[in-house]
Amino acid sequence: MRLAKSVKFREEKFGGVLFETRSEKVFTLNPTAAAVIREIQAGRPEHEIGPVLGKRFEGGEGVIEKEVGAFIATLRQQGLTDE
Amino acid sequence: MNDRSERAAGRPGASAPAASSDDLAAPLYVAWQITNECNLACLHCIEESGPGKAFHDELRDDEVFAVIDQLVDQDVPYLSFSGGEPMVHPQFFRMVEHACANGRQLKIETNGHYLDAKNCERLRELGVKAVQVSLDGASRPTFNRMRVLGEFDTVVEGTKNLRAAGVPIEINFSPTRFNIGEIGAAVDLAHELGAYSFYTGRTMYTGNAVKTWRIVAPSEEQYVEFFSILHAKADEYRGRMRVHFHEMGLLEELRYRLQHPAALLIVLPNGLVKLINALPFVCGDLRKQSLAQIWSSFRKAWHDPRVARFIEDLAVDPRGTSALHQWVYV
Repeated sequence: MRLAKSVKFREEKFGGVLFETRSEKVFTLNPTAAAVIREIQAGRPEHEIGPVLGKRFEGGEGVIEKEVGAFIATLRQQGLTDE
Repeated sequence: MNDRSERAAGRPGASAPAASSDDLAAPLYVAWQITNECNLACLHCIEESGPGKAFHDELRDDEVFAVIDQLVDQDVPYLSFSGGEPMVHPQFFRMVEHACANGRQLKIETNGHYLDAKNCERLRELGVKAVQVSLDGASRPTFNRMRVLGEFDTVVEGTKNLRAAGVPIEINFSPTRFNIGEIGAAVDLAHELGAYSFYTGRTMYTGNAVKTWRIVAPSEEQYVEFFSILHAKADEYRGRMRVHFHEMGLLEELRYRLQHPAALLIVLPNGLVKLINALPFVCGDLRKQSLAQIWSSFRKAWHDPRVARFIEDLAVDPRGTSALHQWVYV
């Protein structure tokens, strides 16, 4: 999985922004969501992202992993990623 | 630019608030009018561009490339080159190459008269994100009346060349009293030509339109019908082509912007930077200041009381937009 060609990511103090330039929509990301994008850009396989971030961010057991999965599903649904 | 931020998920139960331009380290979008020179002299042109209308002090070649380097350094993701007619700029293709090679998403906004097969192929090779073509009508007589010195058939042919080369196409339509009735056919034509987006809105009382308002200004009744057709066309083409239109009037739009400034800089051919096209306020000069300095000034400038006052004055006298080219430094 990777970001779609029309999607640009920029880190910000609050996390980051995703700019989908075809629709000209801006998505504001908090630090965890921004971390997911960095992992995608780094080429980490999707199934590894949740566990890796689960160790890095606070949350109940399995909660971060679940949220990461939901976020990646949202990215996919919005057309922000290519397979 | 649609800059209304949307939320994306993050940590459990949390969501990021929509970022305002105050929160951002740099602009997200720079709309750069790279020259005021144009091969056409359109009745409604907000920039008053035309043959021989280049600014006497447009950025030199070295300055142009230095600006692109700053946009790259500041990680501005999205640029557009417009004009005037951007494709008449002597460094046009070198500028495109420099921006695209450095990872910028670049849109070209053109009148479509220089889109021969060779140029379209080159734009594809350089990796432009899209080319937006102004196609204000679905027939030759209306288009040619509005686009003085322009030729409808050339634009249609050029758009077909874009499609053949595989360049993503957007179509822009400016309504006037005499072309507004073709809006439905114009949307259909855009789809037939392979566009993925169609943009339109209300024509502004500024630039050449101040002199031609009597001829070009649509009536409110025409606008009602226009937007009704656009709603229907947006439904008809849903999933195949995006039909964007700004139904709100300029005053409403500016009041919204005052509260939610877009992370967008408008760069003029001479390096001056405007707050927004529809206001006369200039917040920086790329010849004298860095992009980072100008971004800081931009954010402060939106809080300048003169800006709010100008917008509210438009509620009393909408003709205030006729003075957009009499720049006010904030």
